[in-house]
Amino acid sequence: MVNDINKLRNIGISAHIDSGKTTLTERILFYTKRIFAIHEVKGKDGVGATMDSMELERERGITIASAATHCEWKGYRINIIDTPGHVDFTIEVERALRVMDGAILILCAVGGVQSQSITVDRQMNRYKVPRIAFINKCDRSGADPYKVVEQLRRKLNHNAVLMQIPIGLEDKFSGVVDLVSMKALYFEGVNGEEVRTGEIPAEILEQAQAQREELLDAASMFSDDLMEAILEDRVSDDLICQAVREGTLSRKLTPVFIGSAYKNVGVQLVLDAVNQYLPAPDEVENMSLDLGQDEKEVSLKTDPEMPVVALAFKLEVTPYGQLTYLRIYQGSIGKGDNLIITRTRRKLKVGRLVRMHAGQMEDLTRAYAGDIVALFGVDCNSGDTFTDGRLHYSMSSMFVPEPVISLAINPKDHKAQNNMSRALNRFVKEDPTFRSHVDQESGETIVSGMGELHLDVYVERMRREFSAEVETGNPQVAYREAITRRISFDYIHKKQTGGSGQYGRVAGFMEPSDEGVYEFVSQVKGGVIPTEFLPAVDKGFQSCLTKGQALGFPVLGMRVTVNDGQSHSVDSSERAFRQAAIGAFRQAYMKAKPVILEPIMKVSVESPSEYQGSVLSSINQRRGLITSSTEDGTFTIVEAEVPLAEMFGYATVLRSLTQGKAEFTMEFSRYAKVPESIAKELKSSAEKRSKGEKKS
Amino acid sequence: MKDFISVSPLKVLEKSSRKSLGPGNLGVLIARAGVGKTACLIHIAFDRIFRQEKLVHISLEEGPEKVTSYYNVMYYDLVKALNIADESEIRLLIDRNRMILAYLKQSFETERLRISLKNLAENLEFRPDTLIVDGLDFERAERTLFEGFKDIAKEFDAEVWFSALSHRHITEVNERGIPHPCQQFDDLFSIIIELKPGTSGVFLNLLKDHDNPAIVDNGVRLDPNTFLALS
Ligand SMILES: Nc1nc2c(ncn2[C@@H]2O[C@H](COP(=O)(O)OP(=O)(O)OP(=O)(O)O)[C@@H](O)[C@H]2O)c(=O)[nH]1
Ligand SMILES: [Mg+2]
Repeated sequence: MVNDINKLRNIGISAHIDSGKTTLTERILFYTKRIFAIHEVKGKDGVGATMDSMELERERGITIASAATHCEWKGYRINIIDTPGHVDFTIEVERALRVMDGAILILCAVGGVQSQSITVDRQMNRYKVPRIAFINKCDRSGADPYKVVEQLRRKLNHNAVLMQIPIGLEDKFSGVVDLVSMKALYFEGVNGEEVRTGEIPAEILEQAQAQREELLDAASMFSDDLMEAILEDRVSDDLICQAVREGTLSRKLTPVFIGSAYKNVGVQLVLDAVNQYLPAPDEVENMSLDLGQDEKEVSLKTDPEMPVVALAFKLEVTPYGQLTYLRIYQGSIGKGDNLIITRTRRKLKVGRLVRMHAGQMEDLTRAYAGDIVALFGVDCNSGDTFTDGRLHYSMSSMFVPEPVISLAINPKDHKAQNNMSRALNRFVKEDPTFRSHVDQESGETIVSGMGELHLDVYVERMRREFSAEVETGNPQVAYREAITRRISFDYIHKKQTGGSGQYGRVAGFMEPSDEGVYEFVSQVKGGVIPTEFLPAVDKGFQSCLTKGQALGFPVLGMRVTVNDGQSHSVDSSERAFRQAAIGAFRQAYMKAKPVILEPIMKVSVESPSEYQGSVLSSINQRRGLITSSTEDGTFTIVEAEVPLAEMFGYATVLRSLTQGKAEFTMEFSRYAKVPESIAKELKSSAEKRSKGEKKS
Repeated sequence: MKDFISVSPLKVLEKSSRKSLGPGNLGVLIARAGVGKTACLIHIAFDRIFRQEKLVHISLEEGPEKVTSYYNVMYYDLVKALNIADESEIRLLIDRNRMILAYLKQSFETERLRISLKNLAENLEFRPDTLIVDGLDFERAERTLFEGFKDIAKEFDAEVWFSALSHRHITEVNERGIPHPCQQFDDLFSIIIELKPGTSGVFLNLLKDHDNPAIVDNGVRLDPNTFLALS
């Protein structure tokens, strides 16, 4: 078992909201005998799907936190992560894909490639994850898997090829034709657990043959053997599978499967496909940064004998204590081993090492490279790299989007106060897109995150899991500041108070950065600022970014170049240089003409075409910029960029404009300068706030 | 943006009788697959946008993401070619003055376009001066379709530019010298331009110039990579 790395799969399930990820996962757990009854998302039995284990998830019928589980299928071991579809929880998808070797991209047979499918696809590309597609909900009225394949090609640029065709559709959807074996497959028994093979129904035989031709054409691009075999008319199932596998692993081909998770059609074939077409851990390249070698990129080997490198990709609080999910990339981890967290250099001992099976735990004595396991009671942050101390590696960081919305929260009483800070501490560690800080002027605690739902969930969790009752203010847009021109600084920090003094001079310039990130450049020559003090200068500047002087919003980023300075052999210290940097920042910042930025969202509204006019005007009224309108059948999709500040309450407005027939999604696009009038408003309300405080 | 006008493929019209297509009229670019019809259409779009005019890009094949990314690629080349330092204003101009209307899966009808244009005017005050229609299948198109476009051009006081796909093996031209696939509709078009690849670039030739006989030596040579006019 241990060394059979070829038969291990780590896969993520990702898709647009409500496309059936959790429903599919529930079937997978059932067919692999991890659970013994199927419970539906928001099902009538009130139990809820196994993977949506959080009370809140069950109530709302949505997935909030991704959940990892393990199962076995036909001799293969599969680690699965079910991820949420709602954009507010996009970080969950991000980190799942970060540690997965392959993925199932689910699409709704009716909705097709929806806005969130595009985001998820982009994330899969970011981590170079090979995927198969599953077109779910073929039982729904309006289901059209052929249309969806076409959209995969057009909208996502996938070289998508059908591996199956449906037998019947909508309420007549009864099975699929496997285009490799050219057999019809039906799913019988109470829960579709009995797979019956039959002949292809005569009325779709011709179509099946045509689609198989298409499949062979596409697959033969990845295998000369198959190409030859086609010419010589001796194609075998194995040859096709190998070619499709080749194409999938190189991410140049997306094999497409179809079914209905809810009606138990086609799920087992998706599991077969996971085994057949998705990569084993040693078939994908994973890179790490060697901090001992100036962050040089090094390739990791899925070899249990090599020094350990593992990534903590997710923290979760369970009734039994805190769980840390780990992906082991290299080496092996056993109970009682010592590990070191790269970030803090702190040492820890592995107590309990477990594997998660649909909410149950299996204790392990050792786990090996390629696997996904969990540790108990380890204090770390999500995203931390673990080694055994022999290597000083850090897994490259994950893409973390900036929070766009914030909320003031106030504990209801003293008890809630303590619980609230415990909760916040926990959440911030778990979720890098959730932030919390205390506003120095108002003394209020401000939390920020990716959207209203995101913050809503945390407030609710505070109440349920930490008994922290809090009152919340109105959600606020997370504004930012950024400088717009290059300004020089030259600042001397000098203090002579009794004993030893403080002395440091820092000179250089600050300028806007293109990517909106902070960057520190040292061009100091001749050691005028001793090298050991440069990090302090850097830190000094960074500390100023949390609160810009224009209106007190965080500064989005800038490039700071230090090219001159002065030190004193006795009076210079880290502290002195840090202070000098802070002084330099204050000296230059306002001269660099900071502007206020607001988050702009990419909004996509889908409605029956007759509402195009109302949708356009509703966006126009919200300072929105409409970029396109696409007609697809009887539906129109309007795409626009709209300031987040204008989007509060839009769901209600849209519902009444379209009699509930429209749907919209939005995701963060970029920060843009606020119009003059709004900058003024923000300024006067900031002034009012600070005056109010002075009085009280 | 004076420089742009001197490198725009639309330079070909400078030698024409009216120097432009003009509102209410239809114009077409004919070329074989892969010669650069879409690229030239996008340059026409840039020309209009830079003159602060409004433009609607109608795509009958690709979704808006593809269209946008095509514009971005062309724009990037343009910024490089013209050495534009601060381009944020121009980018804003493009975002403000361009609207993409896409019709997927043969859902296009002139009546639907008319409704969308009305919606844009009434709800957004967006009144295009130019429409660009990319990906229309001329071989399958009926005469009535172009008549419908002509009506729209008049009703909305806009000029409409099309791209038409020709084939290497169909060389016949009608008695007025207009090639496939436009020979049956050439009376409906006011300007007809042919794009042809040559050894030293892509050549634009004016085949029809409103009611005037097209002047013989009117060619403009384009850089085959950027589709900008070479002198
Ligand atoms: N008709 C039909 N309904 C389905 C199918 N699969 C899922 N559903 C229903 O669609 C709804 C959403 O399913 P979920 O499994 O929660 O979807 P999800 O992708 O996990 O949703 P999020 O995690 O919130 O993004 C539920 O009501 C399911 O019962 C299917 O194949 N056919
Ligand atoms: Mg779910």
